[in-house]
This record gives sequence, structure tokens and C-alpha cells, in this order.
Amino acid sequence: MVEKQQLFVEAKNSIVNQNKDKAVDLAKQGLDSGVSGIELLEKGFLPGISEVGELFGSGRLFLPELIVAGQTMEKVVEVINESLVGGEAKGDKGKVLIATVEGDVHDIGKTIVVSIFKANGFDVKDIGRDVPNQKILDEAEKFGADVIGTSALLTTTMVQQKNLEELLRKEGLREKYKTIVGGAPVTQRWAKRIGADAYAQDAGDGVKKLAEIRKD
Amino acid sequence: MGKIRTRLGDGSFIELLEEEIYEDLVDGTQDAAQKGRIPPLSEDELRYLLDLYKSKARVVGVDEGHECCLSYDNMTSKIERAHISVSKFQQLQLFERALGADTLELAHIDYSYKQVKHVVIYDKPNMEQAVLLTIPPMLYGAMPNLGLYTYPDGPCPNPGDLLPQGKFDEAKEAYAQAIELAIKDMIFVGSELYEAGADGINFDTTGAAGDAEFYAALKAAETLKAKYPKMGIEMGMAGEFILGMHGEIEYEGVRLAGLYPHDQVKLAQKAGVTIFGPVVNTGTNESLPWNLARSVTFTKACSEASEIPLHANLGMGVGGVPLNIMPPLDALSRASKAHVELCRLDGL
Repeated sequence: MVEKQQLFVEAKNSIVNQNKDKAVDLAKQGLDSGVSGIELLEKGFLPGISEVGELFGSGRLFLPELIVAGQTMEKVVEVINESLVGGEAKGDKGKVLIATVEGDVHDIGKTIVVSIFKANGFDVKDIGRDVPNQKILDEAEKFGADVIGTSALLTTTMVQQKNLEELLRKEGLREKYKTIVGGAPVTQRWAKRIGADAYAQDAGDGVKKLAEIRKD
Repeated sequence: MGKIRTRLGDGSFIELLEEEIYEDLVDGTQDAAQKGRIPPLSEDELRYLLDLYKSKARVVGVDEGHECCLSYDNMTSKIERAHISVSKFQQLQLFERALGADTLELAHIDYSYKQVKHVVIYDKPNMEQAVLLTIPPMLYGAMPNLGLYTYPDGPCPNPGDLLPQGKFDEAKEAYAQAIELAIKDMIFVGSELYEAGADGINFDTTGAAGDAEFYAALKAAETLKAKYPKMGIEMGMAGEFILGMHGEIEYEGVRLAGLYPHDQVKLAQKAGVTIFGPVVNTGTNESLPWNLARSVTFTKACSEASEIPLHANLGMGVGGVPLNIMPPLDALSRASKAHVELCRLDGL
């Protein structure tokens, strides 16, 4: 039992310290000793990526490290996935298509969100910045997205998030996708007003909101 | 006990009991203390903030003896944004003579150093006229806006594209290129406008693109100060901590990523900045008492660390003010009074 607890602590630390090789070794070691992939993720690696998110959010860890931590998590998920019959938990939390809306080229925040979402087991497709709403819909269809996430940094471009909701309704696709909105001027009140399913204040909040709307 | 009407950080009204407001004040100051590794507010200070929210006054003001300077960034865009058709000069005169501004700022509508370098030739005569028409110190302002130097807006590769591909060295090289170009533009514009009569220059929303941008602004300030020792240099920040987009950049041996206002100001001071504008972001899902206690905690620590005047940023989504295009006066006046009186600010 103590060994198992120690394994979880080391797994968590391997993510926080962005040690890919160590993380993969620990995942294999855990699986070989009979610990389930789900337990390894839930008690070891996921608390690690959660701590990474908190450290980033408080300015104690930086973007390059965040990205490596995310990539480390992806490697671990791959190893665990291989061990699961039928692909239990991991990267099948849902497909999320992400874009910065048309007219807006600000994507620093989006880059962070993509890393954190991937690290938390979501299958994410980032289609970039300054993306017209019609293209967002087309790409969502191609990707088979469950959720469409949009980011807008400007008060002048956030209106595109409203336009996207209207386009989804017009195309009869509103019920097919969940939508999540974010960006500096965006608020919960805005999300409610335009009819988006969720608002994310930051990347960490986005993970929680994604989990919530995926349950609905 | 009756409920007290206040707001969330997105501006919507909420009603809280007195003890709930106090709890939010405590949580807010603790959050800042923990993140910034600084002291939380004392019980007396928290009670003072509680009294502000208990007050039924629609608008509050500072007590006698606490008056401070009022400066505004991007001044000559603000009245244009309200679709009022007056010239830049008239806007400056309105701020000076009707709105009580103690410093003035001439600015171009496209408010970035990269963009304004192309119109410097037009803004130089504007500056000459503006200083002849007005009395307070006149700044020229714009944003360092490092993002404009990378794809798709500039010549350098975009680190936001390179980093997710694991191309860390290439991303760092791209930052190095962008920094060089940004410093050059800031020095060029600053020099030209100072020589046209400006009393100083404002680096507004510094650090919006992270540590590389903060570094570029510090280096530009350092060079301008060496070139023009009497030049006033204001530096207003973009967020409460420096985002580590690069992660390893240092200025004067200090790693920039992750610095909070009380550490940012020390470096700004070293670089020759004469007025510093700390920023603390407003959390839209939290109450204003939570946000204000948090903002005052960070700003007070910054004030204590600073040897230069502080003009804190209070407005849309910063300084305990809600994220509304027109910040509500009940919230803005409470935030202003609290910051000035508890943080011993020189200006807003």
C-alpha cells in the first residue's frame, strides 16, 4: 500500500517536474505491478497536471514548462491507453475544437488553454486565430467535435462568439455541439446572454467547465 | 441583518450579508498574500473595506489630505470611443480643464509603438501644438505590443506556433528577434516625441505578451533615460504577474517570468521609469469585496517596495473594478478610495 502511495507521489512529481522518461517508466511500472490505468491517472498523473495548472496560474511555472508537462502527460496517457481494453478513460474525454474568432489575432491565452486541455485528456484540435465562423463550423464537422471553444481578446471581436451561436442555430446544429467561450473581455454574463453552454475564466476553469458540460 | 448590495467582477449585482462580505475580503487578501508571498491586510484594513461596502453612498471619495494625481492612458482615444467629434487638442483640453487630469497623454488611435512609428511625422507637430495649448505634463503613449512583431502581423516567427511543436529554441530565437525590433521602435518614437516637446513617454499595458515584452520595455526605458536624463517615463502594466512565455529572460540578473507588482516596480525603477502603474486583474466570478481586498493587498506591497510614484491602474477589469466597458461608479469610486488611502498612492 505504501509502495502504491509512493508510486502516486512520484507519478505526480514526474508531471510537475516535466520528466517524460520518468513518467513513462512509472506508468509502465505501475501497470506491471497490477495498478489499474485509471487509478494511476486519477491518483498520480492527473493531480500532477492539476498542480502544473495551479503553478502556471500563479506565475510559478511558465509556458515552455507547461507545454513540456502537457507533452509528458500525453505520453503517459498513450502508455496507459495501450493497456486498456476498449480504451477506458484517458484521451476520450471528448473532442474539442478551438479557435480565436475572426478579426482577432491574439492567441497567447488559447495556446495555454490547448496545452492544459490536452494534458487533461481531451482530444483538442486548434485551428488557429482569426478564424471565420463558417470555417469553425466546417472544421468542427470534419473533426467530429463534441465541443467548440472560442476565444476573443477584444470587445470588438467578442461579438463573433454571439454570431457563432446564431450560425449554429441557423444551421440547425446548436444541439449537436456544446460551446464554451473565453477571453479577456468575456464573462459568465456574456456567455449566458449569447446562449453559450459555458464560460471559462482561464485554462483551469475551462477544464472544470468542459467536464461539467460533457456530463449534461 | 439586511443584505448589502454589491457586485460580481462582471458587474452584475449580488446581495451579501455583512459577514459574507467580510469572508470575501479575508479570502481575497489571503489569495494575494499567498500568490505574491506578501503580507495580507490587517484586520483594521479589512474593517475599513467592509465599511466602504456597508456605506449606502452611491459614490465615495477620498478623505481630506488623501487627494492624488489623476492620469489617464490612451487619453486621446477615450473621447473618440464615445463617438464625440472633437479634435485631439480639444480632448486634451477637456481632460485638463473639465475632467481634472493632472497629466495629459497624446496618443494615436492605433496605440502600439510599431504602428505609431509610421505616423510620428504627423504626431510631432501635434505634440508641439498640444504642449502650447495645455499646462500639465504631457506624455506620448502607446503599447509595446510585442505580438505585432510576429506572424501574422510581423516579420518574426510566432512563438505561439513554435512552442506547441516543441520548438523551444526556435521560439526563444523568435522572441530575441521581436525584442530587438520592439526596442528599436520604442526608442525611435520616444526620442522623436520627446524632442518635439513631450515631457515624457508612457509604455502602456507592458508585459501583455509576457516576459519578453517586459524586457523590451525595460531596455527601451533604460536607453531613453540614458539619452534624455530628464525625460519622464511612465510604465503601466498589463497584468498582475509577468507571464512566462519565454521563461528564462532576466533583467539585471532577475528572472522576469512570474514577477508580481512589488518586484516589477524595483526593475522598472532600475531601468529609469519615473511613474509605475501596477495592475491587478479582476476575477469576474468573484465578488467585488474579494477582488478589491486582493488588489489592495498587491498594490500596497508594491507601494511599500517602490521609491518612485505609483499611479495604479483602476478601470475596466483591473484594480477591483468590474469588467464593464463603462465601469460602474459605485465600484470605481470605492476601489479608488481604498487604493489611494490604504496603499498611499501618488496617483491613479
